[in-house]
Amino acid sequence: MPDIEKITASVDAIKAACEEYRYICSDQIATAIYLAYHLRKPILIEGPPGVGKTELAKTVAELFALPLIRLQCYEGLDEAKAIYEWKYGKQLLYTQVLKETLDEVLQGARGFAESVKRLHEFGDIFFSEEFLEPRPLLKALKEEDGCVLLIDEVDKSDHEFESLLLEILSDFQISIPEIGTVKASREPPMVFLTSNNTREISDALKRRCLHLYIPFPDLELEQKIIHARVPEIPPELRRQLVAFIQELRELDLKKVPAISETIDWARTLLLLHSETLDPDLVRDTLNVILKFQEDIVNVQGEITAITAKVKSASR
Amino acid sequence: MERTLANFIQALRNAEVRVSPAETLDAVTTVELVGYTDRQFLKDSLALVLPKTADEKAAFDMCFDQFFRFEEMRRGGEGQDGQNQGEAGGEESDQEGGAPGEGEGGAGGSAETTDAKASGRRKAKGKPKRRPNNLMDEAEEEEDLGPGEMTEPGSALGKLLMSNSRVELSVQMAQAGEAVNVREIQIFTQKGLYARRMMDAMGLQELNQEISDLGESRAVPARRLGQELKRRRDWLREEVRDYVERQFLLHADVSGKRLREELLRKVKLSNVEHRSFRLIQEIVYKMAKRLATMHSRRKKVFKRGALNLPRTLRNNMAYDGAIFDLHWKSVKIDRPRVFAICDVSGSVANYARFMLMFLYSLEEVMPKVRSFAFSSDLAEVTQLFERNSLEDAISKTLHEYSGGSTDYGQALLDFRRNCLDDVDNRTTIIILGDARNNYGENRQEILKEMYDRAKRVIWLNPESRSAWNVGDSVMRTYSPYCHQVEECNSLMHLERVVGNLLKQAGA
Repeated sequence: MPDIEKITASVDAIKAACEEYRYICSDQIATAIYLAYHLRKPILIEGPPGVGKTELAKTVAELFALPLIRLQCYEGLDEAKAIYEWKYGKQLLYTQVLKETLDEVLQGARGFAESVKRLHEFGDIFFSEEFLEPRPLLKALKEEDGCVLLIDEVDKSDHEFESLLLEILSDFQISIPEIGTVKASREPPMVFLTSNNTREISDALKRRCLHLYIPFPDLELEQKIIHARVPEIPPELRRQLVAFIQELRELDLKKVPAISETIDWARTLLLLHSETLDPDLVRDTLNVILKFQEDIVNVQGEITAITAKVKSASR
Repeated sequence: MERTLANFIQALRNAEVRVSPAETLDAVTTVELVGYTDRQFLKDSLALVLPKTADEKAAFDMCFDQFFRFEEMRRGGEGQDGQNQGEAGGEESDQEGGAPGEGEGGAGGSAETTDAKASGRRKAKGKPKRRPNNLMDEAEEEEDLGPGEMTEPGSALGKLLMSNSRVELSVQMAQAGEAVNVREIQIFTQKGLYARRMMDAMGLQELNQEISDLGESRAVPARRLGQELKRRRDWLREEVRDYVERQFLLHADVSGKRLREELLRKVKLSNVEHRSFRLIQEIVYKMAKRLATMHSRRKKVFKRGALNLPRTLRNNMAYDGAIFDLHWKSVKIDRPRVFAICDVSGSVANYARFMLMFLYSLEEVMPKVRSFAFSSDLAEVTQLFERNSLEDAISKTLHEYSGGSTDYGQALLDFRRNCLDDVDNRTTIIILGDARNNYGENRQEILKEMYDRAKRVIWLNPESRSAWNVGDSVMRTYSPYCHQVEECNSLMHLERVVGNLLKQAGA
């Protein structure tokens, strides 16, 4: 069990702890975790794809040794899939089975009113926790020792779903009409929401969250990240490849390479046992970092110039 | 300090960062948690709580740097001696009523506060001869008394100046600013006036008196203090002037901007000066965004698609499991399909510019805009918008198609030949033009055809109604074949038309 007190004592402590889990974070990110922990507020993380938004939530879960509950959002996601669902099959089955025993229950009852009264004595058994299938959000609330709840790509869901989230985000509770309000256990979950900005998230949701924007890292930070993730790579090559990626981000591309692509590329180059970056090598492995043919064609012409630049800079 | 925060939030709002009361409360708790000790930490923290988009973050950065500059100087001046941690921590809890000053160094919770405060005070007193940094290089013209003992200053402001506590000073300054309502500052000529008033409010007179008294004194330590105080007074004056300047930038500048925006919304688009284009663009984006959020939520439940089994079963349990109330999975978002046909000849070009800007800013709720431009010949420009940024596309459109004299007949012919087949009963056609046809052929029969096929045909005419049908304007000929004819020459009109369009799409 990690010493949570110690980890969350200061921003630097959080940074150091994350580093142990091979997640290099900027001051901004560490501050966000610090505030989220101390203020008990959800974090809404925005930023281009592949900068480690989801990874952050995973790392925090590892850091605090909490279970990670993940809810992947998509168009059409509704409360039945996100919060709870009645086990309707079980309910149906039980009603069929119990039909037989109904006579015993009602035996001796005189008149309609009395029968109904007897039935009432059984309460709403069909709508009790027994028949409740908890989905991620409810599961997260019921987790005894707290957990990390990751609501991934919330921008992919519909507007209505955002409204569903509001209650859990502000009060850590969910209202289920048939049962009542389910409140979070002792430790409320740490909530992370990620968004790729494919659409604007509503103000109501933003208001309830800390808003963290993770941009592409600068040269130094990205080097550190590569160092943490692919420690085997020679320093010289690391410097060159990171510089190369940074140059690419300046170009007008359909999809600029993100950190995840840099890491993949570093692994690729490591696999090919290359010591230094040369144009041919780049040309052959370009499809690791660029995902559109159009981009690859556009960059082809520039490769020689960029590699030369990167090399001379690092020397 | 809470007032400082409130003022800061006011400044943020002026800089168009939307901060709700709930977020203000968040900011207060955040500040209680992180304290004012570490500027960068405070900035990072508030940046998480207050601004909620990338644009707002940029605005926040600027605002924060301007607003909390005083804080920075304090750190610059005393950061080296490593003692400011305790000092500032102490002073802060002083003002905050015991909030834990838990900064990066993790200094003191409330239990340690008293201690930290005491030591902070002691340290502050221990080095009274440190001067503000920016005075170091200044030539000293007065008699050289050399370093040595000084008497304690008598006036309140004097004490404050000698105490070296910049936080205290900044608080005082903020209070003085508050007292003279410096935030009301409207025009730049008022800067001197406000600076003087603030100095007065901080007790300048008393200080001046003391300085002149000390100057006449015989004792060297007293005279030494007099010189020091004088120097610090001049420095303070600079500071106050700076402060007023910043307040002016933060508050007056934006109220002026708001006024301009309000005017621009109503002004005729053809009269907009070139330098205001950027501002107009901002307004257009803002209006479009509002419309987009208003209309992005409407959906239509469809009676087709896959069966939603769970929901169907659940809703039919009441009927003993006999399924007759069916529920479907698919929900369809109803979006208007818009064809925009713009006259881009000289007289109307500006209107076309803003309408296109408006339509394409609404991409989120109107993904299917096809646009056509004509002056004499008509061509589709949709692709231009797909490939280029909005501004580029608009200027390219205007550049390429605006030559030639207006010929509505030819344009309609071209439209029929190229894409009349694509018009169906869900399409809304918006025509923007003054209907001044240079006495050419009108070909209203094509417009009738469009009218029959499309869901709606809306004609927007930038001229005021009184000018219609005068001279070569043939509005009368065309208007029977439009569902709606509107005068449209300002952003307000434009907003209304597009808003209605979106409303009807849902109906």
